[in-house]
Amino acid sequence: MNIYRLVYYSRNHVSSDDASYETAVDDILAKSRVNNVRDNITGALLFNSGCFAQVLEGPLDKVEATFERIQQDERHSDVSLLGLDPVSQRSFPNWAMGFVGLSDADAGRFAAVGLSSGFDPSRLNGEQIHILLRDLTMEEENSF
Amino acid sequence: MNTQTAAATTLASHKVEQLSFERILQGLSTAVIAIDATGLVIYANATAEASFEGWIIGLDLKDLLPGFTLLNVVQSGPTSMVLSSKSNESYEVTLAPLGDGHFVVDLRSSSKQLEAPIQTELDDLTGLAKRNMLMSHLTAAVSRGSDAASFAVHCIDLDRFKTVNDTLGHSIGDLLLKKVADRLNSACRKGDVVARLGGDEFVVLQHDVQDVAAAEKLAARIVDLVGRTYVLNGHTINIGASVGVAISEESSQPRDLLRNADLALYEAKRFGRGRYRSFESSMGALLQERRDMEVDLRRALALKQFELSYQPFLDLNDDTVIGFEALLRWNHPLKGNVPPLQFIPLAEENGLIVKIGEWVLRKACLEAATWPGEMVVAVNVSPLQFKADNLLETITSALARSGLPAHRLEVEITEGALLDDTDNVLITLTALRELGVKISMDDFGTGYSSLAYLQKFPFNKIKIDRSFVAGDNADSEAILKAVANLGISLGMSITAEGVETAEQLKRIRDERCTHVQGYFTGRPMRPEVIPAFLNQTLLATL
Ligand SMILES: Cc1cc2nc3c(=O)[nH]c(=O)nc-3n(C[C@H](O)[C@H](O)[C@H](O)COP(=O)(O)O)c2cc1C
Repeated sequence: MNIYRLVYYSRNHVSSDDASYETAVDDILAKSRVNNVRDNITGALLFNSGCFAQVLEGPLDKVEATFERIQQDERHSDVSLLGLDPVSQRSFPNWAMGFVGLSDADAGRFAAVGLSSGFDPSRLNGEQIHILLRDLTMEEENSF
Repeated sequence: MNTQTAAATTLASHKVEQLSFERILQGLSTAVIAIDATGLVIYANATAEASFEGWIIGLDLKDLLPGFTLLNVVQSGPTSMVLSSKSNESYEVTLAPLGDGHFVVDLRSSSKQLEAPIQTELDDLTGLAKRNMLMSHLTAAVSRGSDAASFAVHCIDLDRFKTVNDTLGHSIGDLLLKKVADRLNSACRKGDVVARLGGDEFVVLQHDVQDVAAAEKLAARIVDLVGRTYVLNGHTINIGASVGVAISEESSQPRDLLRNADLALYEAKRFGRGRYRSFESSMGALLQERRDMEVDLRRALALKQFELSYQPFLDLNDDTVIGFEALLRWNHPLKGNVPPLQFIPLAEENGLIVKIGEWVLRKACLEAATWPGEMVVAVNVSPLQFKADNLLETITSALARSGLPAHRLEVEITEGALLDDTDNVLITLTALRELGVKISMDDFGTGYSSLAYLQKFPFNKIKIDRSFVAGDNADSEAILKAVANLGISLGMSITAEGVETAEQLKRIRDERCTHVQGYFTGRPMRPEVIPAFLNQTLLATL
């Protein structure tokens, strides 16, 4: 089956007070994991207080349907689609939806991809975001 | 009473008797019924029979008008009530006592459809309501009257939908409409009605609108949501939504509300699409003004109210006039000289620019053919003329009829012409070039992708917008310099427009512009003074 990879970033609308923030992110992840297992979708979601960046991989129709639901979500806006391309293999085979909360300290370690201070995915292209997320989730996997 | 009137009255009553009261009643367009003390119909005129579709004498009035009861009908005078028939026609019913417990009942069809049946026909493609269904919900909302909460009508048009249909095909277009329908549904609340009126026209009826802000919030949400990127069969599609909003007021009628929302939509689109506008009462007047202007414009061509005037441009190598740009003038019989900015945008909007532009081309060629030597005429061509498909034909025939050699015609286009359907425009431009016509890029620097277009076509000339010539700040100077250099390296001439002072002329000379046009080197003039002007400038340079 042909696998497609979709990458976007968006502006985070979840209010930044800790409690509601955590519930919102928990809720997104819980829902994502259930739906994505059903839809044969894998990927990773990165957030900081300003934005989301996400990679979705899976069959084209499922990726499109999921993206359409995400597009309608009021918890974010200004969704910029950075890429939608066929790929030979998944980069996140083990993650229904890997998750990385990126603090400024984390970001400092990724200076290589242009993250000198703070994280601003709008300065990255789809491939850079994809690599960033892949590396971040890989670290998490290894730390288990 | 004097004897004369008494006589007239007697005469009249004789005539009435001849007619018979029965025939008068039968001829009335109001339904008239008489009932007995138990509510059974004992008389019905023709209109009443027609209203209830048949023979109704002997039936109980309750069966015709389900809510009817004799309980609250008084014997002392007329009693009125509003009742609906089984087929949901609503009537104002007045009963007047005839004695013996009998009543005469007259039924006037009431304009308020109380409980009109809600149509339920759905659009096959999107599953949204169709026009009928929308109208019946709207009528029902209106008839709930002023006690109920206000509601809002949102008229929605998709921006660039046609392009998607044209470039990606109808099946993708249809898929996109379905997605748009989904998003509209998800933006609205449960009771709201989302309808598709056809093509890419949608209407939302929003219930329980507390205030303007509530309606505008939904409108903004629709603009945002529908405008977000779509991914369909691997295609990334970006369209926008324009929304016009009208809020119900006391005594507003369904049609008025739709019209008002539509007017607001029109304004939203005029202000650049991808936005919403709420209806304001001035919008109707504005539209009227534009309609009047449109009628005037249509007449202007027939009545020969247009004229061309010509502004010279000079070659800076030897400071000689090498041609004139044809400028459109409208001499309105009442308003006098109407500035182009007041009517060209409107003519672009309603397509009249195609006819007007054709006239300009023909007239300019005819007049230029009388000029001496190799004098060039530059003519502005609107993006719509490219779309109209007969531009090449028009220009060929304008040249042939006037006898003007092709190389003495210069066609000026703006970036707008290249914005949509670039490929077809390039084909036309190439064909024009092969004819020998010169092509220049007008108003350079005012759009946003100017540089990209320079690569797509070998223009003979770039005309730098006047704002960079007039602006005496470092930025505009840098831009002027950069464009001039770019032009030179691409082998294009550079005309600086709007030069008004000797100082500006010196500056553009220093920046190596090749041509100049502006008040300083020559104001627009009527064609009949051109020979004298040319003689004079010739003398001046000698
Ligand atoms: C940043 C962000 C990322 C999301 N990612 C996913 C996802 O990967 N999969 C998913 O099904 N829903 C995701 N959602 C949630 C969807 O927007 C939507 O709420 C959910 O799919 C609805 O699922 P349901 O129809 O099963 O209730 C995401 C939402 C946000 C704001």
